[in-house]
Amino acid sequence: MIRCRPFLPVLALGSLLAGAAVDAQQEAPAVPYTPPRTPDGQPDIQGIYNPVGTFYNIEDLEYQSLYQQFKPNPAMRGRSLIIDPPDGKIPFQPWAAEKRKPIYELHLDPPPDWVDPNAQCWPQGVPRHVNNREFEIFQPPGHVVIFNLAHHTYRVIPVDGSPHIPGNIKLWVGDSRGRWEGNTLVVDVTNNNDQTWFDVMASFHSDELRVTEHFTPVSRDRIEYRAVMTDPKVYTRPWTFAIHFNRNKEPGVEVWEEACVEANRKNIDLLERPGR
Amino acid sequence: MILRSVCVLVAVATLAIPSAVVAGQNPQIPRAADGKPDLSGVWQAATTANWNLLPHAAEKDVPAGLGVVEGNEIPYNAAAAAQQRQNFANRAQADPETRCFLPGVPRIMYMPFPFQIFQTPGHIAMAFEYVHAVRRIFLNTPHPEGPIEWWMGDSRGRWEGDTLVVDVVHFTNQTWFDRTGNFHSEGLHVVERYTPIGPNHIHYEATIEDPNVFTRPWKISFPLYRRLEKGIRVLDYECYAFGLERTWYKPTE
Repeated sequence: MIRCRPFLPVLALGSLLAGAAVDAQQEAPAVPYTPPRTPDGQPDIQGIYNPVGTFYNIEDLEYQSLYQQFKPNPAMRGRSLIIDPPDGKIPFQPWAAEKRKPIYELHLDPPPDWVDPNAQCWPQGVPRHVNNREFEIFQPPGHVVIFNLAHHTYRVIPVDGSPHIPGNIKLWVGDSRGRWEGNTLVVDVTNNNDQTWFDVMASFHSDELRVTEHFTPVSRDRIEYRAVMTDPKVYTRPWTFAIHFNRNKEPGVEVWEEACVEANRKNIDLLERPGR
Repeated sequence: MILRSVCVLVAVATLAIPSAVVAGQNPQIPRAADGKPDLSGVWQAATTANWNLLPHAAEKDVPAGLGVVEGNEIPYNAAAAAQQRQNFANRAQADPETRCFLPGVPRIMYMPFPFQIFQTPGHIAMAFEYVHAVRRIFLNTPHPEGPIEWWMGDSRGRWEGDTLVVDVVHFTNQTWFDRTGNFHSEGLHVVERYTPIGPNHIHYEATIEDPNVFTRPWKISFPLYRRLEKGIRVLDYECYAFGLERTWYKPTE
């Protein structure tokens, strides 16, 4: 179930490009949308999209995006992108909640070890990969490939029934295997490493994280997205995160290179530190 | 009139036989639905070019190699030759690879890591294991107007028969060609030719020109090999994250 939610003025850059401001209150149409098909028979959801979410604090939308002028919006206080559990909070186990607390509190001025991994140009992990910046969905035969503008990260999602890689291999964006259920792309993401957060607020997970994603196109220009996170090492129960994506309708638009580590002075200092 | 009839007959005959045996086409090359060679799959070069484009003997941690440069010579102008010697002397710190930066083109094509090609009629994408580099090759479209400095440049492709020709411009001056300091400026222009020579091999050739650095265009070439292992998949190599991984979120032991 996807709760009705007001338009979130987040990701200013992407939203401007996408014209997301006209998206307010848009709901799924009554008649189910049937996308065209790719030559290999997949529902065709290709295009460039902007996520309408926030990766600042997915549990509390008072704090919007890093890419906006940082200004809390009290009207959004307490609103969450988490639709389950009902309180909108990540169901951390008590030890994990304790461990997170000081990092959460210092998020505006974190000591070096508590800096958001994404801010260090590391790959975003899933689902943050599609809750970050503009991205492109590309569907060559047998695959769905997602290219993110930020850090030029990509995900390859085979939809050919192939099995996951051996479990001991951990990857920054996990190992994704997809299947189409009607017009919904369902992706099982395993082999995640334990280095990524879901937002800026120390929302961590372990390397036992499993993510199940649903990409449901509800119109030509909008995809509803849902991800269920399961991690018995860190959470008391699975939890569900929901956002949507709006198509960038600018004619001829392409996703271009955005390097990150190459210009990140802090990262270069870390790389060059003695003893590394 | 007679000539025209012959032409029509030839055309009809061509339509009547399977496309794979049309005169001049290599029947061993897999083809996409649009009849173009299908380059999709996981590929990797097997050269030592990332250590040194030119012929070189083995050193510790450096495999020997016959080189990939046509004529075994890189035609630097005098100032650039001096710069290359300086790069070589400082290579342990100065090679951008040591800082895990995007390696540029053509270096990414011979980094010793696999990459996957995805292909549709209008767009070919390459997803690399090394620092999750990406190349987007849009077909039959113009380069965006410069000046632009991208680490991986801007790639635009077209098919010439069974060869994919990719024109790459808009580079930075920050990448090298190998670990011995072979380099270029932001004026680099690379023209790549990908010619499949069988189901599992692509002949790769790149013509490199840069009037700021070289006295003439020069060429490198080597085969790309299909990775045939069952279940082969491009994994990740996040070079810049090694040694910086965080452990604070582990449960207290």
